Amino acid sequence: MKRIQITPYALLTPAIVVLLAALAYPVGWQFWTSLTKYGLKQQFGQPPEFVGAENYAAVFTNPEIWGVIGRSVAFCLVNAVVTVLIGMGLALLMNAAAKAARLALQVAMLLAWAMPVVAAMTVWLWLFNWHHGVINWLLTQAGVDMTGHNWLEDPLSFYFVATVIVVWMSVPFVAFSIFAGLTQVAPEILEAAEVDGATGWQRFRTIIIPMIRPVLMIVLLLQVIWDLRVFTQIQMLQDAGADYTSTNLLGTFIYRTGVGAGDFGMAAAMSVFVLVLTMLLSAPYVRSLMKEEN
Amino acid sequence: MKRTIAMAALLAVGALTLSACGGPAATTPAADPSAAEPAGQNITLWLAGGDTPDALREYLKTEYNKATGGTLTIEEQSWGDLVAKLTTSLPDAANTPDVVEVGNTQSPTFTNVGAFADISDMYAELGGDKLLQSFVEVGKVDGKNYTLPYYFGSRYMFYRKDVWKAAGVEVPTTLDEFNKAVVTIAEKNPNNIKDFSGFFIGGQDWRNGISWVFANGGDLAKYENGQWTSTLSDPNTIKGLQQLQDIQKAASNAPSTAKDESPWLYINDSDAVTNDDGTVTETSFNAATIMAPGWAHWSIGDLVKNDEGTEVRQWNSDKFGVFVLPGNDGKPAPVFAGGSNIGISAASQKQEGARELLKIIFSAEYQQLLGQNGLGPANSDYTSALGDDEFAKALTESASNSKLTPAAPGWATVEGSMKLEEFFSKVSDGGDIAALAAEYDAIITPMLNGS
Repeated sequence: MKRIQITPYALLTPAIVVLLAALAYPVGWQFWTSLTKYGLKQQFGQPPEFVGAENYAAVFTNPEIWGVIGRSVAFCLVNAVVTVLIGMGLALLMNAAAKAARLALQVAMLLAWAMPVVAAMTVWLWLFNWHHGVINWLLTQAGVDMTGHNWLEDPLSFYFVATVIVVWMSVPFVAFSIFAGLTQVAPEILEAAEVDGATGWQRFRTIIIPMIRPVLMIVLLLQVIWDLRVFTQIQMLQDAGADYTSTNLLGTFIYRTGVGAGDFGMAAAMSVFVLVLTMLLSAPYVRSLMKEEN
Repeated sequence: MKRTIAMAALLAVGALTLSACGGPAATTPAADPSAAEPAGQNITLWLAGGDTPDALREYLKTEYNKATGGTLTIEEQSWGDLVAKLTTSLPDAANTPDVVEVGNTQSPTFTNVGAFADISDMYAELGGDKLLQSFVEVGKVDGKNYTLPYYFGSRYMFYRKDVWKAAGVEVPTTLDEFNKAVVTIAEKNPNNIKDFSGFFIGGQDWRNGISWVFANGGDLAKYENGQWTSTLSDPNTIKGLQQLQDIQKAASNAPSTAKDESPWLYINDSDAVTNDDGTVTETSFNAATIMAPGWAHWSIGDLVKNDEGTEVRQWNSDKFGVFVLPGNDGKPAPVFAGGSNIGISAASQKQEGARELLKIIFSAEYQQLLGQNGLGPANSDYTSALGDDEFAKALTESASNSKLTPAAPGWATVEGSMKLEEFFSKVSDGGDIAALAAEYDAIITPMLNGS
């Protein structure tokens, strides 16, 4: 007969209790609101009307929302992958560089990482300003006439700017995490492989990558989650002058539907949907993480 | 076992995500009438944007303290976030500001849902029929006063006298003349500046662009049979939009996504840089005309150093001038009336202190202070405080025929949704006006009725 082990469950209990206590009210409220017609009147005290799955039906039959979802998923995947690739490159550079160079790199990245989002965004907006931005000026000086070019007008170019900014902000975290992983790779193994005639690329692909795989998986998972719920950067870029409908991602769309246009029921339904979407996107990673551990 | 850990992990993922989509706190407003004594009440006033100068803020703090012994805290909210902030803060008795400035166009949305306290009993004491009536109207529901006018502003044109002269055009006396003049200036481009605008108006700038709609007899919405309807497709609205589109095509080089923020950057001519070969590139000046609220004149002029050595703008009447956008009927074109209303949060626990503050704001002294600082006083007895310089004249003249946005219960929702920015931007991009108007009418009408 299989004996039931109590200890693991007992150890998990405090964490689950805290999670439930902190989540039960907001999730419960969110879910309940998503089933009601909840507008500005309800916000000011009138009882909401229960409408069942009406909000969800509206979410799934609205082509604009599917556009937002598609763009958000694409944006989050592209950004997560680009961030991890650049972060890994910088981590390898830090690993190989001399001490002084490494220190300079680390300080630079820490500064970028520690900069408050709104402050950093203000500077980025200046850089990309259509009228007096440095980027346009530099490109014009270099011979490409970009005078008066508005980077935020075309949605693709808008997302390009957003990607540059989001990646810039998240690379330091990824680079440091992977760098920490790299320091755990035993130099003896790499030396032995080198003696056996393995090229640099072979050592990287067959020794380093498998050894830092858990770190890579975790940072990729975190980036996917963070980039799916990106808000501040998109909101501030939009406010600097962009077409709202074609540049909305899930975060800004929900905000504008709920707080902006006073339709909290729809916004709540969207939020619940994002929760499910995040779980779906991250489920494969969580499962393979579990496998690694066992 | 494996499954349990996986569940816990998924739960944790959920926790991380949800923090991104927390809903607003739903609290029932509960004004406490027991706190009837204003003595020593510490209250908070929300002002929108930086329009109220520091000297006036200090005055309010000092006077409030003198009157009640309590402290007045003034918090400034940006116009862009105001609707969102009011939506989340006003219902919450624990966190609501006590007295709130709200855009005149945003007032109906909040008064209709009961966000403000009934101050009808103070109406006569605070100025009564002397108060700007169009603003009093947007603060009224079922004959009761909830918000009252705080100040009014208006919009008029700032232009470069030197450039207009060089292009050989006169200050216009009708709207048609204006529309032609700015195209002529853009074509002649006397200073030979790249991407020069005869009249600089951003594509998303509906607050200024709406003047062309109003001037042609169009409107944003109408109230009929108990229902609000968006009227972008009205033939008169379309006529105005067509003129605006023509200007944007032929006279304005502003991006189609630009808003009404700091247009004076483009009319001032400093910020010039000297190139290696000795030539000078003017990076700033590229518009002969802009439309802006009256207080913009503080930001227009030549760059000079003041006594403390900081660079400030000094108005130069040889180079710059102002005129009121003319209509085709001999009157000024109806422009969008700027300004705001002020009211007491219904959820505030400090109604008495808040009422004291309103008395100070509507006092003769404060009304005059508003006028002296270029803000139109709510009480018509004190409009003379605005003075009689060219800015005061232009302000009074343009305000005389100004118009408010629709007093629909859902108007703030329409503004908060940014749909008007989008619509005007698409028009300025040269889109098919009739088709766009029909499309956005269908989007805006349900919002207007607050459904």
